[in-house]
Amino acid sequence: MLDKPASAMRLRERLLDSERLMDETGCYDGITELSLRNQDPLKFETLHTKLRAYCVSAREMARRISASPGVREVGEMVVAIYTPEGDAIALSNGIMVHVHTMSRFIKWMIKNGYEDNPRIREGDIFANNDAFIGTVQVPDVMDVVPIFYEGTLVGWAGAVCHELEAGGITPGGDVCLAQERFTEGLFVCAEKIGENDEIRRDYVIRCERNLRMPIYWVLDEKAKVASCIDMRESVKQLISEIGLDCWMQVSKEFIEEGRRAQLARTRQLTVPGIYRGHTFYGHVTAGKPGFQPLGDPDWLYNIPIEMEIGTDGKITMDFEGTQPWGYHSMNCTPAGMDGGMFVTLTQHMNFEGLVNDGAWMATELKLPHGTWTNPDNEMVATATSWALLLPAYGVFQRLLSRSFVARGYVEEAFVGQVNSPMIEMGGESQYGTPFGMAHFECAAAGSGALAIKDGLDTAYVGWNPESDMGNIEVWEQSMPMVYIGRSIVPNSGGAGKYRGGCSFVSTWLINKTSHLRLHTSEHSSRVFDNGGMCGGYPAPTCQKHRAVRNSNIHELAAKGEPLAHAPGTDPHVSDYERNIAGDHVVVEGPYITAPHKEGDIFSHSYNGGGGYGDVLERDPVKTAWDVENGFLTREAADQVFGIVLKDDAEGYPLADIDATVKRRAAMRKERLAKAIPVADWIAAERGRIEKADFAPEVRKMYASAIKLSSRFTRDFSDFWNVDARSIFTPGAKP
Amino acid sequence: MTSYSKEIIRDLASGQLPWPQTRRIMSAYKDDDRFFKMVAVYQDRVAWNDPILLPVSDHLFICQSGDERITRCECGHSFGDYRKNWKLKAAIHVRNTEETLREIYPNSDLPDPEWMEIREFICPQCGTLHEVEAAAPGYPIVHDFEPDLEGFYRDWLGKPLQP
Repeated sequence: MLDKPASAMRLRERLLDSERLMDETGCYDGITELSLRNQDPLKFETLHTKLRAYCVSAREMARRISASPGVREVGEMVVAIYTPEGDAIALSNGIMVHVHTMSRFIKWMIKNGYEDNPRIREGDIFANNDAFIGTVQVPDVMDVVPIFYEGTLVGWAGAVCHELEAGGITPGGDVCLAQERFTEGLFVCAEKIGENDEIRRDYVIRCERNLRMPIYWVLDEKAKVASCIDMRESVKQLISEIGLDCWMQVSKEFIEEGRRAQLARTRQLTVPGIYRGHTFYGHVTAGKPGFQPLGDPDWLYNIPIEMEIGTDGKITMDFEGTQPWGYHSMNCTPAGMDGGMFVTLTQHMNFEGLVNDGAWMATELKLPHGTWTNPDNEMVATATSWALLLPAYGVFQRLLSRSFVARGYVEEAFVGQVNSPMIEMGGESQYGTPFGMAHFECAAAGSGALAIKDGLDTAYVGWNPESDMGNIEVWEQSMPMVYIGRSIVPNSGGAGKYRGGCSFVSTWLINKTSHLRLHTSEHSSRVFDNGGMCGGYPAPTCQKHRAVRNSNIHELAAKGEPLAHAPGTDPHVSDYERNIAGDHVVVEGPYITAPHKEGDIFSHSYNGGGGYGDVLERDPVKTAWDVENGFLTREAADQVFGIVLKDDAEGYPLADIDATVKRRAAMRKERLAKAIPVADWIAAERGRIEKADFAPEVRKMYASAIKLSSRFTRDFSDFWNVDARSIFTPGAKP
Repeated sequence: MTSYSKEIIRDLASGQLPWPQTRRIMSAYKDDDRFFKMVAVYQDRVAWNDPILLPVSDHLFICQSGDERITRCECGHSFGDYRKNWKLKAAIHVRNTEETLREIYPNSDLPDPEWMEIREFICPQCGTLHEVEAAAPGYPIVHDFEPDLEGFYRDWLGKPLQP
């Protein structure tokens, strides 16, 4: 059993007592006064800075142990130090979403009697990738080790890496074809995987026999354990310097300080009130191979969010009205939802001072039971939960940003993150060996615009503020494909006074393999899964996949003929179709098809972010630069932004300011001529509502929301002045 | 305490402040006197005299208009009581055909108009595009923001509004 917990109480009782104290006092662990901070603020800050340095240093060291380009190149890793009860005290940079999911994992073990069996002892290593215990999805594998000081449990060190291969029904980490838990891959459910600082051989054998590419997972395990031991030893050294009593007190004061700082920042940066927004996600799988007939083949999800900021500074986010969980891979657990909240806060509000679990404690999530945010069935799959999580937290960022605009901090307003769909692959590698891998260049989408400037191009994703697409040459070492193009997608940022950041598209030649399975499922189909703000448009995020089977690219190359390096800007005929002969494939929705082989071409585009402000206010000079550099097409500059471009002496685009002013005045008039009063539109639409004259997937979406939410039903009925229940769920019991 | 001149705040709001300076402001501790300075910048920008109480969008403001508090466009158009959804008093243009969606997305794959439409909320007086919703057909218009105006002025700014 646990030899000597820090207090005389057993750990489980200590955890429950800590929660009781929080309930009773409103302060973390009942710490109503920051006595150490008040006694010596400089020492207080210095100690936390040291802890943060331990984390950053341990992560950087671990990245050099990993074999995975996801961890080495893109930085898909985070580490943190926790209290004995499992609350994060300090963390590294990286995929900070997992700082709080690991907290849940530690608490889960404590609450489930791990003190008695399998026991918590010095040198133990525990691992988990079960999202219902505490992670987001199966590839997010976390390791924690207890920190003992002279026989007393004084904390935990934890590390997470996102694995590129998880051994699921489809190769890769985000197992896109998983429709139930049982197809998601190798689960490690809060297991003790090592003792005496050594990973058990039988655990490694299990990994080696159940993964397509175990080298990534196994070396990542070693990297994580090394980082945990490194942090553990640093903390022990620190305790020997400051004393155990000081450590136990100061580590908790750090968290309470973090909680108070979050509340203070909310009061400083925002305006109290109720904020609302929504987004959607579409999934089209009818007729696709491999999908079991469990759920609807095609579906549409609504993701409404109501955020309340109270005058006490607390932020509450409510997902009532969203859709039920489904037999697909995009469900999320409360742990994942918590993680999304945490990583978003670290970017927008909790970016200075003592970044830790205290920020999370100053917020509340309302996740309706039975929805994709909080499934009432633990058999559901969560392998690609980011597909819904990212659009949802993009809404959260827009809601927060409206509060920043209202408060005058326009430089903090940001239209938000977007989904950044990953491609995954497996089969026979270029070396003739079995392989599997998720391609993590997706970690560099376009960001939403800011309220004062354009969004970042190919440089942001919500889950990892340290975004990076990785080098082409490194990815090419790991897969049987070579790049024949990686380029900006023109117009991929949402239009606006400030445009969203642009995305990029990659084009690959499949090389030295006779069997390459390529999959991707996370592009929203038929609907945009993002939004603009203050007049900006959403980014065009429902992109199709394009491939050429049996291409003549080698013949073209031999003749020195032009190839195609990107799909081009004609939405009806791609440059692949223009320049390359072969069997051209255009796929809507998940790309799940028969294996590819050498000579085939595949392209995949990532997402740009939404725009901010009225398009007719965009700077013409900046737009000319955008056109010159391929971020916008001339067509869009003219047609969408009303900017007249002419050519300078060398043929470069030059804004014609006078002509632009005239054109925009005309466009404004045209806008007003086409628009009608909203009241008239509502009156005209009402007939359609009464007849439920919508596509079947839209009707289903309304019926599901109405079944799950009385508030959605009431709001819908009140808005349209109809009885929503009788229209969409006739015959159902009220 | 960090503080900036009104001119700097004006240039920041209009996107005219040079990036290195903007970057320093983003990285620095926040200026606690920002709100009223920003309100003064907006007040200079508008041609009308109603005192601005709260900016709610790029060109929309809640202001005190006599005994009423209303949402007003920068051009002066009133959208009525600030507690009501201003969008219901706006003009709307809905893009729910491939042709009208293509006008905004000339080179991209489009949403299916049966699944999603783009709604543009426009000031009926000046034609400013104030907000865009991307929503499924039939989805109620969202009321973006209901500020707790009294609570904000009373508890956070320490300057209670006159009833």
